[in-house]
Amino acid sequence: MSTATGDAMTPLLEVRDLSVGYETNGGFWGRRGIVPAVEGVSFEIAPGETLGFVGESGSGKSTIGKAILRLVSPLAGSIRFDGRDVADDGPRAPLSYRRQVQAVFQDPSASLNPRHLVAHSIESSLRRHGVTTRSEVRDRTLEAFEMVGLDRSHLQRFPNELSGGQQQRVARARARVLRPRLVVCDEAVSALDLSTQGQIINLLADLQQSTGVSYLFIAHDLGLVRHIAHRVGVMSQGSLVELAPVDDIFGSPQHPYTRRLLGATPASSPEGRDERRARRREFRAKAEAVS
Amino acid sequence: MSETSTTLIAVSGSGRHQGRSSNIGRIVARMRKQPGTIVAGAFIVVLFFTAILAPLLAPYDPTQVNFDNILEPPSAQFWLGTDDLGRDQLSRLIFGAQIVLIVALGAVVVAALIGVPLGLIFGFNGGWWDRIGMRFIDMAQALPGMVIGLTVVAILGRNIIILMFAIGLIGASLFARMTRAVVLVERNKLYVEAAEVAGLPRRQIIFGQILPNLVGPIVTQGTVFLGSAIMIESAMSFLGIGLSSDIPTWGAMLSLALDNQAVAPHLTWPPGIAIVLTVLAFSVFGDGLNDALTGERRRLPRLGLRLAQAEEERAARAAVPTVQAAIGADTSSSSGAQPVLVAHDVSVALAMPDRTQARIVKNVSITVAKGEIVGLLGESGSGKSTFARAVLGMLPPGTWLATGSIRLLGEELAHRRESELAHIRGTRMGAVFQDPMNALSPVHSVGMQLTEPLRLHKAMNRAQARARAIELLERVGVRNAASRLDDYPHQFSGGMAQRVAIAMALAADPELLIADEATSALDVTTQAQVLDLILDLRDEYGLGVLMITHSLGVVAETCDRAAVMYRGRIVEDSSVETLFHDPQHLYTRSLLAANPANAESSGRLATIDGELRMEIDRQLDAFEADEAGA
Repeated sequence: MSTATGDAMTPLLEVRDLSVGYETNGGFWGRRGIVPAVEGVSFEIAPGETLGFVGESGSGKSTIGKAILRLVSPLAGSIRFDGRDVADDGPRAPLSYRRQVQAVFQDPSASLNPRHLVAHSIESSLRRHGVTTRSEVRDRTLEAFEMVGLDRSHLQRFPNELSGGQQQRVARARARVLRPRLVVCDEAVSALDLSTQGQIINLLADLQQSTGVSYLFIAHDLGLVRHIAHRVGVMSQGSLVELAPVDDIFGSPQHPYTRRLLGATPASSPEGRDERRARRREFRAKAEAVS
Repeated sequence: MSETSTTLIAVSGSGRHQGRSSNIGRIVARMRKQPGTIVAGAFIVVLFFTAILAPLLAPYDPTQVNFDNILEPPSAQFWLGTDDLGRDQLSRLIFGAQIVLIVALGAVVVAALIGVPLGLIFGFNGGWWDRIGMRFIDMAQALPGMVIGLTVVAILGRNIIILMFAIGLIGASLFARMTRAVVLVERNKLYVEAAEVAGLPRRQIIFGQILPNLVGPIVTQGTVFLGSAIMIESAMSFLGIGLSSDIPTWGAMLSLALDNQAVAPHLTWPPGIAIVLTVLAFSVFGDGLNDALTGERRRLPRLGLRLAQAEEERAARAAVPTVQAAIGADTSSSSGAQPVLVAHDVSVALAMPDRTQARIVKNVSITVAKGEIVGLLGESGSGKSTFARAVLGMLPPGTWLATGSIRLLGEELAHRRESELAHIRGTRMGAVFQDPMNALSPVHSVGMQLTEPLRLHKAMNRAQARARAIELLERVGVRNAASRLDDYPHQFSGGMAQRVAIAMALAADPELLIADEATSALDVTTQAQVLDLILDLRDEYGLGVLMITHSLGVVAETCDRAAVMYRGRIVEDSSVETLFHDPQHLYTRSLLAANPANAESSGRLATIDGELRMEIDRQLDAFEADEAGA
């Protein structure tokens, strides 16, 4: 993967001091509170770049993705896409933004409507975005399918008639068909078997090479992120604790939490596991002594 | 909602409509396997034809008054007799079917047209819409249906359209409620978010995306309500608040029969039976439709297969002694200590829908020594979890142990009775599964769930069991164990809940711990903690652990030895060093190459597909052919 030239170009996406909270449901008469999920997060993504986000569940990494997709609204801060603050567009995202920012979610079987043929989800996005002639809709749907390694025979199937990897390819095709400039991949391969994961990761890389799309790649698996991302952000308890090029994160992690995350990641071979276990034990003893 | 009724008829018809949409074909195929539904469906078809062909079928005009033949008993001329105005009962019954179906279908359409949009709006918008709207629905449902019907008819008068409307109003709250419930589930699904990301307008999301998922429940509810509508219509006609008395309806016929019960008891039976059968047919058909739509439940194998299964189990049981002898010789020669688990030649069969059987675990042999952690590595569908369930004696319905022996410290477990297995599970084996929240009962406190097996299997009293439970929780790293004993599972985080599940497994003082994807759902940091805990427990108690996982990392960090499973078979069983540095089987080599943690940080990832997958399958096919030949 070629390294993106980050600083020379203007960033595609620029997030400043983003805070997002969720309302708690206080029951019928109960008072509603706000639980912060993300606080004061800033980062940018250059065109053609892949930014990886890692962290534990509940660290707020998915919430950032949702804020960029405008599925939740921020409490504070700005999200600038292509130089424009998306908050200026009011509560509903304009179609031009929807077209340029797409998503692939974790569970491919849940992200496809079980009652629709898989071609339907792609065709309805195309129609919504101004592609109206029947032949053009058909051609572009087929083109998107072929780009992700599916063929004509897969178009007229229901999601449950496809394998997990094929379903994820359909989700990719849907994200691809509008020719977006940014795709948010939220745990996009976590639910797949090892052998299928590789295929989807390679596909993402190929598409980036040929179209120059940017990715925000959210995952809890550091091994995967290492493979696909140019830079990596580490989230912990709603904050971005470290953001650095991928080699620095894995080679010389600065923040203690990053080191802890790396220490907890299973290694690729059994060598040195006793030392790793001893180190973890030591770390835990230290943490317990502190608290 | 006219499509509701047309779909209904299409489905209840002959099943010829399966051509285009394979979904409908599948539903019809499932319904064909339900005898009750077929009978009910046939009755409904006959009823519809009777109604449509009424003018041809009825021997007389149902309204023709004939004072010569008043209250005649059944005869060759009047098959079901005549009523107090000399009208033919049979003709009135046949024409009554027409009225009853028109009113009931109309009522269902009205109910769906009012109820479904309300449910969609309340469910999708939520918030105040939902709160206020649903309170109104609650109120509507609290009123007896008959009162609503009476009021509408009293205000608007008596005719067929108003009757439909009145009955439809009664049913609308049912449809609204059901629709809202389904929408609340569907609106949080990822495909709705995906549609939002695609920029589809809200209207299209509600009607284009969510509504199709409602067709099943609506059709089912419609069919069941059709039966209710017939009952309400008959009741209203019986009370004289339905249609005018010269229109033949079953309810009015029943009312007439009541007036003349003393002189003409034969009048009661035909309308009574017609109403009961019709209502019954619609609800049976609706239930059958519901089962067909929600998918086939896994049932026990059919009788023929059950017999085959029993036969095979007998044969397997007979074969066990020789197997045991072989193992006995084997283990005594290899080492002095007895292994905790010796599974030999274990195969598991699965009953297929077409009455054949498939082997989902094939000739698996695995040994776990005391203090040893043995990995069972494989992709989803490789049969590794099924094997674990076979060892636990907890195979799901429709699967059974076809061959093999499973010995726990020398004691044979295969083909033991469920009660004996339960005792063995409670005292000598422990298991931890992927989702701790599924393994723990949400309605009992953690303390209750920990102490109950202790009291049952270890004959402890309440205080002893509680003390032991606290000890166990402390051992697995739950802080403030004594106070957390009264907490419920949902009050624990995922990692903590998994620790509680491990404590429950330890309560049995097991010799063997089966961890089935025990850390797959956990974050890396929590995973490391839980794996460390299992390692510590192994060191402390000398547990034998069978670690079932799809993760190479988990195997690398914890296992002494690992077996690789593919297509139900163990393709390689090596020490962990050999597995990672000198893998013998092509599949193992491919898996290692595909591990992203293993690969260079740039360049393409190796994958297992296309040619490589075919080559692996070819090798395994060749091996199986050899084995079958030998």
